[in-house]
Amino acid sequence: MVHRLEMREMTKKYGDFTANDKVSITLGEGEVHAIVGENGAGKTTLMRMLYGMEQPTSGEMVLHGKPVVFRGPDDAIRHGIGMVHQHFMLFGEFSVAENIVIGYEPSKSGFFQRKEAVAKVRELSEQYRIPVDPLARVASCSIGEQQRVEILKVLYQGADIIVLDEPTAVLTPLEVKDLLKTIRHLADSGKSVILITHKLQEVMEVADRITVLRGGKVTGSVAKEETDVDDLARLMVGRELQQLSERLPLDGKPLLQVENLTIRDKQLLLDRVSFAVHHGEIVGIAGVSGNGQSELLQAISGLRTVQEGTVRLGGVDVTNQSVAKIRETGLSHIPEDRYLWGAAKTESVEENALMGYQRKAAYNRRGVIARDAFRRVVQEWVKRFAIKTGSRQLQEQAGNLSGGNLQKLIVARELGHQTAFLMAAEPTRGVDIGAMEYIHQALIEKRNSGDGILLVSSELSEILALSDRILVMYKGKIAGELSRAEASEEKISVLMAGGSIHGSSQRAM
Amino acid sequence: MVAVKELCKSLVQPLLAVFIGLLTGAVVIAAVGESIIGTYQELWKGAFGSFYFFSSTLARATPIMLIALGLALAFRAGVFNLGAEGQMVLGAISATLVAIYLPAPGIVKMLAALVTGIAMGGLWSLMAGYMEAKFRIPLLISTLLLNYIAVLFASYLVTEPFQDKGGSAALAQTVMLDKSIWLPKLFAGMSVHAGFLIALAAALLLFWVLRFTPFGYEVKMLGQNPFFAQYGGIQRIKVMLTGMFASGAFAGLAGTVEVLGSHYRFVDGALTVPNFAWTGLMATLLANSNPIGVIFTSILLAAFQTGAMGVERNTEVPLELASVIQAVLILFISAKFSYTWWKQRKKKGGNTHGVA
Repeated sequence: MVHRLEMREMTKKYGDFTANDKVSITLGEGEVHAIVGENGAGKTTLMRMLYGMEQPTSGEMVLHGKPVVFRGPDDAIRHGIGMVHQHFMLFGEFSVAENIVIGYEPSKSGFFQRKEAVAKVRELSEQYRIPVDPLARVASCSIGEQQRVEILKVLYQGADIIVLDEPTAVLTPLEVKDLLKTIRHLADSGKSVILITHKLQEVMEVADRITVLRGGKVTGSVAKEETDVDDLARLMVGRELQQLSERLPLDGKPLLQVENLTIRDKQLLLDRVSFAVHHGEIVGIAGVSGNGQSELLQAISGLRTVQEGTVRLGGVDVTNQSVAKIRETGLSHIPEDRYLWGAAKTESVEENALMGYQRKAAYNRRGVIARDAFRRVVQEWVKRFAIKTGSRQLQEQAGNLSGGNLQKLIVARELGHQTAFLMAAEPTRGVDIGAMEYIHQALIEKRNSGDGILLVSSELSEILALSDRILVMYKGKIAGELSRAEASEEKISVLMAGGSIHGSSQRAM
Repeated sequence: MVAVKELCKSLVQPLLAVFIGLLTGAVVIAAVGESIIGTYQELWKGAFGSFYFFSSTLARATPIMLIALGLALAFRAGVFNLGAEGQMVLGAISATLVAIYLPAPGIVKMLAALVTGIAMGGLWSLMAGYMEAKFRIPLLISTLLLNYIAVLFASYLVTEPFQDKGGSAALAQTVMLDKSIWLPKLFAGMSVHAGFLIALAAALLLFWVLRFTPFGYEVKMLGQNPFFAQYGGIQRIKVMLTGMFASGAFAGLAGTVEVLGSHYRFVDGALTVPNFAWTGLMATLLANSNPIGVIFTSILLAAFQTGAMGVERNTEVPLELASVIQAVLILFISAKFSYTWWKQRKKKGGNTHGVA
């Protein structure tokens, strides 16, 4: 049988570094092939070679039995390969139809045939059961719709092989379900799909074949029927996964008390939000991003002023206080965007670690920062969290660390403050399984020691794994509360989409 | 050792810029029809050729260096202070008036004048910072416009109320200061004065503050990523205001030592015509805001200016040669930005395996 696509012994070297080491994959007609691996395993490099963005050091690509070389993405597109990038490449001010036909516009004597474009998009949309409104402005479309536009764009360009790069990272659970259905349908109508992801649950749901990469090498290529999530995780990480520590039953006093918190900025962003976090408790906040979670975090940490309501931390009113004051009162904070809020990429690991410690008495000698004493502390963090800092160690630029290692550094820094209360926002976003284990374990240990944690995450599995109680945010409000026992992915999904469920338990404030 | 390495790294680019600047200057000289080597020899002699010329260069470098240090601090914090000229002039006129009218012994008057110059420069600059914090008036605009107010106000003061009416020609200047207030010359008959030592000490102090103190750390982080600084509890406004005050204070000090060490009176235009403020800005940019680097770049730029005077005295090449070379220097500093950008872009392309 001739495969639609074969990549044979693909190798890509950057200097001494081998990003891909003899990676081979095959892709059949109507097949969904998932490529999984941790950050830095070489998934993206492989796809960049397929799409003509990188030239392989060695190896060959065979399309329909014929060897091919792609000079660039245009070349790849002409050969029927389409890529849906993680970050969409759309023009917000233009209509859906215009975005889909761009570059290959139907035209008559040099004039763009808008009606024809709309008709063609409608036809495609129905053929592949990918619902879009061709006349809608892209900027007003949801993320899920925008992704469908991207998929239709590659279909319009005549792709037989569709590469989806981490497609579910930005979607709500319901949108993920729709996308997986779409992928299945595409495969059933004869297209081949390459799915790049690290979410194993989704892989098991939709893929026919799975290739696992680790450190640039293939560690396994299996049919879905022959494997399971644990098996794949082992292949990805290269060892058994550890179990999280037992959660000790604790019944602590209130630590963070938020009452009627309201933020208006032209529109209502937070609407009378009230809840409490107790000692020895992890409270998870679930929700589609953009429903007030960021504003809530900024309000609690002092980065944003609130119009109404109060925040009390350990009994002290810290509403609208400065960040420094609130941190002093007892807050540490893993920020939701590590590059924007959590680090200075151009500075060293040591300088990034120092943030918040520079004025602490323990690290000051007569007005001078006690670098040596502090450096020893950072070295301990590096050891405890197995942070890979590169050849220059603590003097390495933070921007050169991988996302997971930088995140571990931030987690270590914030845990190092040893405050009773911790806010952890998206603590494992874009982080590989190994780093995730470390971070989850650290959070559980902090909880077990009697500290309180407010966890905000768009990753339902993370919320479910860690939280004692779960609050769901929708349109700036707390839409519902679930205890650990009664929480399930279905119930949270319903609340996240603005629905309501019965039987939610309330815990006294 | 890290500091030394950092310093060397920050000097590579300026040296390269200087080299290319000299090359461009050579084209200009050739266009005028003079000997390139001969002209550069004159340039060198004019700046360093004799101890007298060398000391003139150092004297000229003194206010440039102080201004550049203040700007280095501001730029490190990510704050744009373009008001050095006004801050310098206002500091200088205030210090002069204190030195003339304060009834006290000479040494006290001198110290009082220095403190006044520092304070007035600082406050003038702080006002721009305050306006940004309170009313969101961009520093870029306010500092630039406050220059006119300060410079013209000082001009008025010395043409009307405080003009020296004693001389035969009524020039726009104050009366001569009493000798007891003068900053001592470092060598008899040479123009370099104690202000140069003050500038050197200030450079070392600023280096120490930026490198070792919590305040220095906060300034740096604010400049590198203001969001991160804010998240970490650094008070942006407080650091910004402190930075503005300090950079204005340096400029005020620059004007004051120039009066107390060189002119011994406030002469209208004596601080603005030689372009100390803008040369100081160039020195900061050339040194990439490194205080130790500023020492070298200030002397270098001053040398171009004193050297160009020598060139004009002895050849047909006009004084403007120095300006051409300086302009090219600035062009190549901005080229550095694109160069690092390009390097990073290349690195990013090569590093995608890290993101994969």
